[in-house]
Amino acid sequence: MATANNPSRDLILKRIRAGLQMPVTARWEEVPERPFFAPIENPLERFQQECKANLMELTLTDNAAESARQLASILNTLPPGEIFMQDHAGLRALVEDAGVSREIRWSSQGGPREVAQATVSLAEALVAHTGSVFVSAACGGRGASVVAPCHIVFANTNQLLPDLKTALSNATRNGVLKNNSFACMISGSSRTADIEKILVQGAHGPIRLAVILERR
Amino acid sequence: MSAPATRVPPADGASAHDHPQGANPEKQFHHDAAVKSADLVHREIIRKNMESYDAGHMKGRARFMDWDAARDRCQAIKREAINHLDKYLLQFEENVTARGGHVFWAATSQEARNYIRDLAVRHAVKTVVKSKSMVTEEIELAAALEKVGCTVWETDLGEYIVQLRHEPPYHIVTPAMHLNRTQIAELFRDKFGEPDLPEDPQKLVAAARRKLRQAFFAAEMGISGANFLVADVGAVAISTNEGNGRLTTSLPRIHVAVTGIEKVIPRLEDLATLWPVLATSGTGQPVTTYGTLVGGPKRPGEADGPEEFHVVLVDNGRSSLLGHPEEREVLHCIRCGACLNICPVYRHIGGHAYGTTYPGPIGAVLTPHLRGSAFEHLSYASSLCGACTSVCPVKIDLHHHLLHNRRDFMKAGHGKVGERIRFRLWRVAMLSPKLYALGGWLGRKSLRAIYGLGLSGSLLDPLRAWNRKRATVPVAKESFREQWRKGLGNSK
Repeated sequence: MATANNPSRDLILKRIRAGLQMPVTARWEEVPERPFFAPIENPLERFQQECKANLMELTLTDNAAESARQLASILNTLPPGEIFMQDHAGLRALVEDAGVSREIRWSSQGGPREVAQATVSLAEALVAHTGSVFVSAACGGRGASVVAPCHIVFANTNQLLPDLKTALSNATRNGVLKNNSFACMISGSSRTADIEKILVQGAHGPIRLAVILERR
Repeated sequence: MSAPATRVPPADGASAHDHPQGANPEKQFHHDAAVKSADLVHREIIRKNMESYDAGHMKGRARFMDWDAARDRCQAIKREAINHLDKYLLQFEENVTARGGHVFWAATSQEARNYIRDLAVRHAVKTVVKSKSMVTEEIELAAALEKVGCTVWETDLGEYIVQLRHEPPYHIVTPAMHLNRTQIAELFRDKFGEPDLPEDPQKLVAAARRKLRQAFFAAEMGISGANFLVADVGAVAISTNEGNGRLTTSLPRIHVAVTGIEKVIPRLEDLATLWPVLATSGTGQPVTTYGTLVGGPKRPGEADGPEEFHVVLVDNGRSSLLGHPEEREVLHCIRCGACLNICPVYRHIGGHAYGTTYPGPIGAVLTPHLRGSAFEHLSYASSLCGACTSVCPVKIDLHHHLLHNRRDFMKAGHGKVGERIRFRLWRVAMLSPKLYALGGWLGRKSLRAIYGLGLSGSLLDPLRAWNRKRATVPVAKESFREQWRKGLGNSK
């Protein structure tokens, strides 16, 4: 177990415990928990709507061959150069089917390099309510979803969950953060509105976030 | 790679947010507030930004079936966390250290600064990238790192802009809200040596991206804040749109997360409520683009990530608020900035006039507790309209806490003598209808005489503070009581 030299740890805990002993006069009414989002009737339809609102590119495919063609089509729009891919048997097969001729750096070789034109990864789950892609370090590492100007996610409809609550409950139950040092709920490409509240995509990370969603 | 401009280095014991002549924060506040509220360019920039925020915020709220139920849930989550703060912090620490991370508890700003500075020196760090963190502003971390030879890059675009201008952040969510594209383009042309850079936000963002990517890939240390500390999984949750938080916590070999002790929440699942509510209140988005969770250094088998992960838990006066009978809930704040955006005072005087790390209503409540009675005047920087309380996503009773601060301030004997005398006289008058009527009559007569002599706004005018810079306050011909007797109460 890693530790830091903590001369003030006990002092702070003592102060906290002393503070919590003090009676509080604020009026606190216990309010029963009630739903605040409408239930998701059709997760796939909702996911499509939210991806559009998040300025993501979503393509529904019916089989692996179609997914491979879609991957090739996206890569054809990018400038020449290396791509980074999560090292996974399914993605290796996809790349082979797509006939990718670019130089590929696999996650088993380390993280993506600055020169990467695109990163390709799987996802832990997809969230319909927010149009999000949930990734962890197992999806090619931390840089796999942020270093290149284009992030391509390959997922299937069985991974689609209705809302954040379900996705985060599953993550706790499945020990996603026990087994990974990192996870991220991604809801669109990198963006900023720091200049006059005008939206600009590609502030530091990907300008494009493309999801290839295969029906299962 | 050209180094970024450093912020104004603070004198020992002073904050980077203090004004150069800030020996008296109250006087400085009054001066700066008066200057800013008369600055029409500033007012126009803020008006446009706030109108855009208002529209986005209302649109975001409409996505909720029951916005108030979401606020109640957030309040309940934070209340549970704060009322069991020791338990959840220890659980968080246990989970982080079990995965090889380090947790440092800092009682003061100095302890936090020293820990991170020593870490940087020990690892011979030369370049540091920072994502947005108000706590690092509070503890004046950047200046401490620069003193030991580190180059510190603010990587949030707004933070980077104000860093280049040698300014502290203007707003806790949008640090460069006070600047328009013309001012930002001029700044970039000057600092980047690109005289042809157009006033196009897209081009300006691209220019900053080119500069900052060099820093990301060169940095040995990444410093982030934390929006939440998730106890049950032992992870730091960081919300960013730009992805700078992602790069800061992914590329350098050391990641340090600096945060207040009050940021802990019990469960990962709580983020299903807090993430959308924070985003809606902060920017009007349904959810922030990147909800990042970091629980430790790179694990064996992972492709990348820092080799070391440190969390610095900063107390710096927060634990004293736990024992306050009324204001414990101030620690529930999730720093969304909604109370700043709606505050009529903030909308006129802007963020820098406060002279503090945390401006606006939450800053006015919190700062006197963190930095002492020299900042009590901020509790009066409010019309007490209650707009801040009405939008707070965790339902902090902000405007009443401003009143609590004022009461405590007077009880502690800090009030001005003249003010005390005036309030005592007012109390006596309020308890006697005849005396009140006499006072009103005298007041109207004397004000009419002063105005008649053309002395409105002069030293003889009791309403000088208002009248000297504005149209004279009109004086009613008759008292309210007289008007009422004549049928005011029956008018429809």
